Amino acid sequence: MSLETALLIGVLFGCATWLVLHHSFVKILFGFVLLSNAANLFLLSMSGSPDGREAPIAGQTAGPLVDPLPQALILTAIVIGFGVTAYLVILLYRLFLDQKTTNAAELFAEQDTSERT
Amino acid sequence: MKWALFIAVGLPLLVGPWLGLLGRALGRRVGWVAFAFPVLSTAALLWLAARPGPAAARISEWPWIPSLGIPLAFLADGLALFFGLIVSGMGVLVFWYANFYLDAHYRHHGRFYAYLTLFMAAMLGTVLANHLLLLFVFWELTGLASFLLIGFLHEEEASRVGARQALLVTGFTGLLLLAGILMVRQVTGTFALDELLRAGLPAGAHRGWLTAALLLLVLGAFGKSAQFPFHFWLPNAMAAPTPVSAYLHSATMVKLGVFLCARLFPLFVAHELWAPLLSWIGFGTMVLGAVLALQSHDLKAILAFSTVSQLGYLIGYYGLGATAGVEHDYLHILNHVLYKGGLFMIAGVVIHSTGLQDIRHLGGLGRRLPWLAGAGAVLAATMAGVIGTTGFLSKEMMLKEILEALRPHGTLGSYAAGCVLVTSVIKVAFAARFFTNVFLGPEPAAVKARFHAPPLPLQLPPLLLAAAAIGFGVFPRWLDPALDALAVPGLHRPADHLALWHGVTLEFLTSLGVLVLGAGLYGFGQRTAWRWARISPALRFDAFFEAGLGAFFRFTRGLTRTLQADRPVSYLPVVLAFALTLVGGWTAYALFRSGEALPGWVSEAARGVDWLRAFAAGLIALAALGVVGVRRWTTQVIALSVAGFLTTFYFVLHRAPDLALTQILVEVVTLILVLLLLGRFPRSAERGERTWRPPPGRRLLNGVLAVSVGGLMSTLVLWVNARPAAERVGDRLAAQTVDLAEGTNAVNTTLVDFRGFDTLGEITVLLIATLGALGLLMRYKRTPEEYRQGPLGAPGMGVHHPGEDRP
Repeated sequence: MSLETALLIGVLFGCATWLVLHHSFVKILFGFVLLSNAANLFLLSMSGSPDGREAPIAGQTAGPLVDPLPQALILTAIVIGFGVTAYLVILLYRLFLDQKTTNAAELFAEQDTSERT
Repeated sequence: MKWALFIAVGLPLLVGPWLGLLGRALGRRVGWVAFAFPVLSTAALLWLAARPGPAAARISEWPWIPSLGIPLAFLADGLALFFGLIVSGMGVLVFWYANFYLDAHYRHHGRFYAYLTLFMAAMLGTVLANHLLLLFVFWELTGLASFLLIGFLHEEEASRVGARQALLVTGFTGLLLLAGILMVRQVTGTFALDELLRAGLPAGAHRGWLTAALLLLVLGAFGKSAQFPFHFWLPNAMAAPTPVSAYLHSATMVKLGVFLCARLFPLFVAHELWAPLLSWIGFGTMVLGAVLALQSHDLKAILAFSTVSQLGYLIGYYGLGATAGVEHDYLHILNHVLYKGGLFMIAGVVIHSTGLQDIRHLGGLGRRLPWLAGAGAVLAATMAGVIGTTGFLSKEMMLKEILEALRPHGTLGSYAAGCVLVTSVIKVAFAARFFTNVFLGPEPAAVKARFHAPPLPLQLPPLLLAAAAIGFGVFPRWLDPALDALAVPGLHRPADHLALWHGVTLEFLTSLGVLVLGAGLYGFGQRTAWRWARISPALRFDAFFEAGLGAFFRFTRGLTRTLQADRPVSYLPVVLAFALTLVGGWTAYALFRSGEALPGWVSEAARGVDWLRAFAAGLIALAALGVVGVRRWTTQVIALSVAGFLTTFYFVLHRAPDLALTQILVEVVTLILVLLLLGRFPRSAERGERTWRPPPGRRLLNGVLAVSVGGLMSTLVLWVNARPAAERVGDRLAAQTVDLAEGTNAVNTTLVDFRGFDTLGEITVLLIATLGALGLLMRYKRTPEEYRQGPLGAPGMGVHHPGEDRP
C-alpha cells in the first residue's frame, strides 16, 4: 500500500477527532462529515494498491481488476453517512430553535443553573 | 423415605410462599394454616429417626441439575436428624407462640408466616443436605429468610440496619464457605458428604489446599454462628419480632455454624489448625459474649449476647474434641435450645404485656404472672446450671471434659478452662439478674400503667420448655435412648450414661464454687444497681461496621461522581481514551510479539508512492487542516467541501468510478444542506462560539487524543497492507459477475445481487433518518412572537456568554 494513503487517513482521523471533541455543535457536525470521509478512505485502503489494476468492470480489459468489495461497502457507507449528516443538520437546527444556542457548554451551563435554583 | 423427606423439606419449601397470598384472605388466622408445616415436618422426621438401617440406606436423591452433576441429595443420619428435630420441634412451639404474639397490632401476617416457613424449610434442607453445593444453597437461603424476618418491621430504622448487617455478614461468610467447599471438591473430587465421611480427606500433597479450605469453611461457620469478629450482628438482629429471635437467633439458625463444625469434625479433627483455630476463637467469644451480656440492660440484648457466648462454647468444644470423637455435644446443644428458646419466649411475653424492654424499668411481674415466673425461675436456673436442671448436667459434663482436655492440650487447655470458669461465674450473675429484676421486687409505675395480661396459650411454650429442662434434668435417663440412637460414628465416641448424681467429684465442687462466686457478682451488681454496666465504645463492633459501611458508600459515591458526567461532551474523551488504550495497547503488544517493525513498513510503503495520488492526498490533508484552522463557519464549510470534492478525485485515482459519482452528488447536497443551516443561525451565535474556549488542559487532552487516533489509524493501515494478501472475496465476485449476476460492473452487481440485503439495510437507514428529521421539523411550534419576528427570531438572539458584551 502506498504511504500517502496511510498518512492521509491519519490526518483525516486526527482532524475529525479534534473537531468532534469540541463543545460547538457546528464543529461536531463538520467533524462528523470529515470522519465519514476518513472512514471511507480507510475502507478503500483495504483493497490494496490500485497500481497496474483496472476499474472493476468485467470484460473491458484482460488485466487484473481492483477489489470491488470495498468499493461496494463504501458506496453504502457514503449514502448512510449522508443520511446521518442530514439528520444531524436537522437536529442541530431544531436544537437551536429550542435552546437558542449552538454550544454544548452554554446548553449545559443553563441547565446547571436551572438545577441549582 | 423419600416421601417423609418430601413432607419434611419439600412441602414447606413449595407451599410456604403461598401463605403470603393466603394471608390476604385470612388475616392473622393464616398462622394456624402455617402451624401445620412444622407439625408435619416433625412427624416425618420422627418417622425417619425411628427407622433403623445402615447409613447408606439413609440417602435419597432427586435429579436437579444433571448437566452439572448436582442432585437434590439428602443424608438423614443421626446428626442431621438431631438438628432437624430441633428445628421442626422448636418450629412447632414458635409457630404456636407466634400465633398469639403477632396480634392484630401487626400487619402482613401472611408474609410473616411465609418467611418463617421458608426459613424452616431452608434450615431442614441445610442440615439434611448430602451434596455440599446443595448445603450451600440452603445455607444462603436461611440467611435470606433471616434478612427478611429481621427486617419484617421495616418501618423502623433499627430493623433495617440489623437486617442489613445480618445479610452482609452471613452472606459474605457464606461466600467464603462456598470457596471452601470448592477447594474440598478440588482436592477430593466429590461434593457428596457421605463419600467424604466414608473416605476421609487425602493427606500429603494437598496439605496447603486443605488448610485453606479449613480456614474458609470455619470462617463461614463463624459468620453464621456470630463468632468473633462477626459477633456483632446477632444482638442487632433482635430488632425482629420476638418469635423470630427465639427461633432463628437463639435456637436454630445461629447453630448452623455449630452444625457445620460437627459435620466437619470427622474430616478435619486431625488437622493441626483445627483445635487452635476453633478453641482460641470459640472460647474467646464465649468470654466476650458473657461480659457483654452482663453489661447490657435490654432484655433481648442480654439473651443475644449470652447466645453468642454459648455458641462460642459449642464451637470451642468441637475444637478441643479428641480424635476419637466427642461425647456430650447433643446434650449441650439441647440444653441451650431449651433454656435460651424458653427465655426468649418469656422475654417476648414480658415485652408483649408491658411494652418495656429495658430490665432496669421492669420488676414485680411475678405476682401478676405466677406461671411465667415459675418457668422463668426454672430456665434461669438452667442457664446458671443449678442442680436438678439440664443446665446442671451440661455444666458438669462441660467441666469434666474441660478438665480432661487440660492435659493433652497444654496452654490451650488452660486457656479453655479459664474461659469456661469465668464465663460460668458471669452467667450465674446475669441469669439471676434476669429472673429477679423482671419477676421480683417492687413493681415500677411504668409496669403498673402499661400492663395488660397476656393470653395463657402464649405462656404455654416456655412452660413446656421449662418442664422439659427440669424433667430431663432430674431424669437424664429419659434422654439416653434418643441420644444413643442419633449418635454418629466418627463424631461421637460411646458416652457414659448421664446421671443426676455423680458423687462429690472435682466438677461438682467447681460447680458449687462457680455458683457461689456468681451469686457474689450478682449481689455486687444489685448493690451498685448495675450502674457500672455499660458496653465500652471500644467493643461496639457494630458501630465500627456501620462506620466502615458508610465510608465505603462515600467512597463509591465519590468514585462514581468522578467518573461520571452528565454531559456527552465530557464523556466522549473518556470513551475515546479508553478505546485508544485498549486498541492501541493491543496493537503495540501484537507488534512487539510479531517482531515486525513500523519503519520497515514505511519504507516498503514509500516505494509504492504515486506522485499524482500523493499530490491529491496532500491537498485533501491541507483542506482538512483548514477546517480545523480557520475560524469562520463559512470558510470552514468551504474547506470541508474542498476536502470532499478532492476525495472524489482520490476515488478516481483509485479506479473507483461509482464511488466518485456518488461522492460528488452527496458532497453537493451536503454543502447545500449545511449552508442552509448556517444561514438560519444569527451572527451572534457564531461570535459567541469564538468567545468560549475550553480550558487549556482540555485542549491539550483533545490534541493528544486527536494525534493518537490519527497515528493509530495510520499504523493500522500500514500494518494491514504489509501483511501478505489473502485470497480476496472481491476477486471471486469480480470473476463471477457476468456469469451469476448478468452484469459487467462488479460494484453494481455486488450491491444489488451479491450483497442485496446490505442495500436493503442502507435504504432502511435512509428512511429512518428521513422520518426522524421530519419528526424534528414537524413537532416544532413557533410562538406567535417568533412568527412576527421572522425565521431568524429576535435580533441579537443567540449565544449570550457572561462577560461578552463587546461586539
